[in-house]
Amino acid sequence: MGEVIVITSGKGGVGKTTTTANIGTGLAALGYKVVLVDTDIGLRNLDVVLGLENRIVYDIVDVTHGNCRLKQALIKDKRFEGLHLLPAAQTKDKTAVTPDQIRELCAQLKKEFDYVVIDCPAGIEQGFKNAIAGAEKAIVVTTPEVSAVRDADRIIGLLEAAELHSPKLIVNRLRPLMVKRGDMMSIDDIIDILAIDLLGVVPEDEMIVITTNKGEPAVLDNNSRAGQAYRNMARRITGEDVPLMDLEAETGFMNKLKKLIGFK
Amino acid sequence: MKKTKSSKGKKLFIKKDVNGAMDPDTNPEFVETEQETGVVEETKKVKQKSKKSNEQPTAGESEEFLSGKPVPREDDNKAGETGPEMQRKTDTKVLENRGPWQETFADENTILIQRTVRSGQSIRFDGNVVVMGDVNPGSEIVASGNIVVMGALRGVVHAGALGDERATVAAFKLQPTQLRIANHITRAPDGDYLTPEYPEIARIKEGVVVIEVYQMGQDRQTKIG
Repeated sequence: MGEVIVITSGKGGVGKTTTTANIGTGLAALGYKVVLVDTDIGLRNLDVVLGLENRIVYDIVDVTHGNCRLKQALIKDKRFEGLHLLPAAQTKDKTAVTPDQIRELCAQLKKEFDYVVIDCPAGIEQGFKNAIAGAEKAIVVTTPEVSAVRDADRIIGLLEAAELHSPKLIVNRLRPLMVKRGDMMSIDDIIDILAIDLLGVVPEDEMIVITTNKGEPAVLDNNSRAGQAYRNMARRITGEDVPLMDLEAETGFMNKLKKLIGFK
Repeated sequence: MKKTKSSKGKKLFIKKDVNGAMDPDTNPEFVETEQETGVVEETKKVKQKSKKSNEQPTAGESEEFLSGKPVPREDDNKAGETGPEMQRKTDTKVLENRGPWQETFADENTILIQRTVRSGQSIRFDGNVVVMGDVNPGSEIVASGNIVVMGALRGVVHAGALGDERATVAAFKLQPTQLRIANHITRAPDGDYLTPEYPEIARIKEGVVVIEVYQMGQDRQTKIG
């Protein structure tokens, strides 16, 4: 029996889809059977981020409406045998599926896969209700901005109301230097407000933009700091105890040199 | 500087069974076009309607109707002539005038879409579809006949969706996310591939979807039909 995890945020653009793609790929890289479910019907992106857009024939709406079998709609990833995607429909809207249908779908997927990771749409309306319907665990993504934290707080409230207790937090796009200068909320500030457990912190990284555009998750890039953060999070999800990475670490030449000769 | 190919060059799409074969049972239906945008109207239906209300466009006007412009009715003052009859007459004329090469699809419906088809929009039509504009990624055109895009084709297209293997897809820039003809599903290969700047046409040849440079005239036209 697998685990159904929903990745949500309330606010748009904080990195739900990127996080879903990377954590899913990270889990698949660890050897688990993973299915990523895109519930953002009408504004689907997960397929693009994974570079699987051109393989879509059937989507989640076709499955729930009985136009095809669930197996026909699942797209195998081109890199990992264990990674699958259930794409959202693009020409329909959120009302095309109901929470009950998603619940049923998750129950089916859970039998086949170790992890069912659901990419939730922004907002707190129908799409959100659909996405959380079948979930057993929740991950809330936020950025160190007052608006995003406010929305995350609202989402945590709604998750608790839906019996999804103790969600985990991911702080995305953190810039350690700005935090140091006092220009950006720190992890402590955010946890102070949201009062939930931290799953991981993703530093701002140009590689995310590059890899997202290429359709190859950053988690596969060993040189990417964000990729490292996602790899760590995937391991934490599996129950492993991984310490938070050192965000302050400088990447300049002198620091690398110091590291090399053992000064650091 | 873009790479170009020789004019005889062929670009073969990988013919791939993406998620299992297309189920004939689940082929898209053509009874209605997308309601949401409200732009595409099935001409067949319009044709058969009698001239009861003035808002109802006749088949001849369907092109203008599609682009959403109010169109003055030409036949308003011609008493005794109904829209459908008018249309039938013109149809006969077309049929009489056609050449020895007999356009196979001449008596079928064709719609003209004079706008960019954007992500999330879907055009489903029982007949041929001509788009004067681009077809963006995330959009979908499904036609029982041919599809012609006078612009860049980047979305998903399905020509001959009711099973006609003679159907073709032609575009000024043929770079579809996915290209389907009848029950063949193809996509561009992974990684880098050529993106030519000239019009191309896709069709089924010997059971494989083949993309070639689009050439005008000659006996080719009959084949396109």
